Amino acid sequence: MTDSPVPDETLIRADAVHKRFGGITAVDGVVFAARRGELVGLIGPNGSGKTTLVNLLTGHLAPDSGEIFLGGHQVTHLPAYRRARYGVGRTFQMSQLFRRMTVLENMLVPGLTFPHLSREVIAARARAHLRFLGLNHLETLPARSLSGGQQKLLELGRALMLDPTLLLLDEPFAGVHPTLRDGIIERILQLHASGRTFLIVDHDIEAIQQLATRLVVMARGRVIADGSPADVRGNRAVLAAYAGT
Amino acid sequence: MDYALVQAANGLVLGIIFAVIAVGLTLVFAVLKIVNFAHGELYMMGGYFAYYAIELLGLSPFPALAAAIAASFLLAALLERTLLTPLYSETTERKAEYGILITFGLSVALRNLALIVFGPFPLRPPSFVAGVQQWGPLILTNDRLVAGGVGLLVLMAVVYIMSRTAAGHALDAVSQSRESAAIVGIDPRLAYTLGFGLGGALAGAAGALMGPIFSLSPSMGILPDTQAFVIVILGGMGSVPGSIVAGILIGLLESLFTAFFPDPTRALSYSNAFGVLILMVILILRPTGLLGRRHMQME
Amino acid sequence: MRRVRVPVVLALAAAAVIYAQVVSSYWLHIAIVSMIYGILAASWALLAGYAGQFSFGHMAFASLGGYTSALLVQWTHLPIPLGMASGTVVCAVLGSLIGWVCLRMRGPYLAIFTLAFAEIVRIILLTEYAVTNGPAGLRVPHLLGTPAKLPYYYIALGLLAVCLVTMSALAHSRWGFFFRAIREDEEAAAASGVHVVRAKMYAFAAASSFAGLAGAFYAHYIGILTPELGSPDQMGLVVAMAILGGIESLPAAVGGAAGVETLQEALRSAGAWRFVLFGVLLLVTMRFFRNGLLQPAWQRLMHAGASEGKVT
Repeated sequence: MTDSPVPDETLIRADAVHKRFGGITAVDGVVFAARRGELVGLIGPNGSGKTTLVNLLTGHLAPDSGEIFLGGHQVTHLPAYRRARYGVGRTFQMSQLFRRMTVLENMLVPGLTFPHLSREVIAARARAHLRFLGLNHLETLPARSLSGGQQKLLELGRALMLDPTLLLLDEPFAGVHPTLRDGIIERILQLHASGRTFLIVDHDIEAIQQLATRLVVMARGRVIADGSPADVRGNRAVLAAYAGT
Repeated sequence: MDYALVQAANGLVLGIIFAVIAVGLTLVFAVLKIVNFAHGELYMMGGYFAYYAIELLGLSPFPALAAAIAASFLLAALLERTLLTPLYSETTERKAEYGILITFGLSVALRNLALIVFGPFPLRPPSFVAGVQQWGPLILTNDRLVAGGVGLLVLMAVVYIMSRTAAGHALDAVSQSRESAAIVGIDPRLAYTLGFGLGGALAGAAGALMGPIFSLSPSMGILPDTQAFVIVILGGMGSVPGSIVAGILIGLLESLFTAFFPDPTRALSYSNAFGVLILMVILILRPTGLLGRRHMQME
Repeated sequence: MRRVRVPVVLALAAAAVIYAQVVSSYWLHIAIVSMIYGILAASWALLAGYAGQFSFGHMAFASLGGYTSALLVQWTHLPIPLGMASGTVVCAVLGSLIGWVCLRMRGPYLAIFTLAFAEIVRIILLTEYAVTNGPAGLRVPHLLGTPAKLPYYYIALGLLAVCLVTMSALAHSRWGFFFRAIREDEEAAAASGVHVVRAKMYAFAAASSFAGLAGAFYAHYIGILTPELGSPDQMGLVVAMAILGGIESLPAAVGGAAGVETLQEALRSAGAWRFVLFGVLLLVTMRFFRNGLLQPAWQRLMHAGASEGKVT
């Protein structure tokens, strides 16, 4: 983090974004930025707008107002697949794999979106990632037959096929068996150490603060705290948000 | 102008019948979360049920209407029990796809079965009440008045059932959340059978009411089926009041379209296309339907 | 990539040639119609089974392909093969347009929209009888100057072969992968960098152009074209063929088409009951054998066992 070449370079920035669904304001003027090499934890009670913010950052939703910048470029109206090509990888709250495709095929889909790469190169890269994630022995199984934790790992692997600079993980530990959970944490730390930027959504403050270099807390569509895990822990607004709702 | 007036009155009757069909479709959608592509064929079956209740059982038209409604309910409930149960199983994958294909297949099967059993030639059941009524320039056959009047009663009955009876509340609860409904002691399976049966009964009632006006044929369900899609999407999938309003609106619009279309030889065919065109435009503008209630995703 | 085994292909080709030598012209006709429906069922399987787009507008494209070719030939005296090619191109363009319009429609909404599209096409063809001759049917010039069935048989066989090879090349290409990914999860496909818009347009364009080609060939083979070609019943027949065979395998869908068409003829004595039989067969297959009746057999024939589309 501190040893990255341009320490203050902002990788992704949301500028006063709003998103309403019917009568509910899910994201209400959020200002958020992540610098290259950070590992940001995004926490908040259920329904606080975390997933909506992630969807706005990845292009799965368009904001009603406000702007989004990626590496200094305006991407507010750029569709999700283009942002993926620019190195924005993500996982979903409930695993969204290509269920009736095999583990390897799931990995190939993002790889094949790079037209200049041959299938051999893509397959080799996919297998290397599967080995890193400990899924290589499962490559011919359909994705739907994996356990919950393995599905989370495969989603991470699929995102890695984009060679992402930014990874947005939406509740990567939800429904994961504790033994696999440590495996996921370990891999996130390794990937982070190799220079990738992370935004990890979780509603459990305890788990994420061991991992994150910075915590952002959302409640009712707004950012109510932003700082080091220690700062955020002692923040009264945060305690109120968790206790009050 | 007189022609337009008659057309408007006809359109109102047609709209009420469309609304009855569409309310059945929307009810099935709300409770079972599927679009029933065989709904038009249940409408067709209702017409034939009434016809044979009169011809074979010797019932007079109004009891035959009641018999047709009951028979349509039973037929729909039977079809639901035999074909749709995989929709409720946790192990069934791709439920939306299953719902589309099974009901589409059912529509083809019922239509061809009707072709054999009932024959390809149009049949016309006897009138409910023979004769016409005239008020100044406005002339309406008694059958249209009956269809409109009974149709309104049926719509009122549905609204009553949905808002005031335990069965209606159970259906509404299941339509909102299968799990929560089960927790408060409503058997979802019973609700599905009831919902699909009620949907079928409404389609059947409409078919029996329209029999003396348009006569019966095995393919008579195709157009009302598409009209019902138009209405349900216009009125909001799953919304009973929306379907009633939209149904009457579409009936009126189409009849006036026929009245004012410059080329009378083409007017009738294109009045059907008119509604379908509305449907396509709405879907292009709002791919999940207008005023769609909570359940956008079907699974 | 999964390679179709050479011996299987040779055996099928030999069987097709032997069949042509031994059967009567009546059964040649059945085979020709089967192969046309084979193209229709397989291309619908590509759209529905691979790309997950359950369109009920497929036969409307067959109809449009047929009418485009027939009318162009009638008006401009275009050579028939060029007319058929134009019908195919028109369907490709209209198909991609429908694919684009249907972008955000899912599941039942797409089915309703395409059903509505098919109805509009049918109503227009029925109503504009000054051009189309309405329900009585448009007389279409025959592709060949001969009443003999054998040349048509080999043309149909060639068309089927070309269509199947093209479709399976597409199914096993990058875009075939993207089709399956979109079928499984559109959001995840977009998150993986898949251009969902373009993939859907390709799927619709490809499937519709095959339908248009099949429809055009059908018109110039039979010699008469009615709007009924695009009716819900015809759509139901093709859906039944594809599902009975298996919608996630192109050869199985063709097998389903051949099976249904042959049974239809064999059961001619059963009269109209056979249509009910197919309807019921479709329902039973959907209810109890969702993968189709032929798909498992075909997979065993190809042995494969391992995943389809495996990368070597």
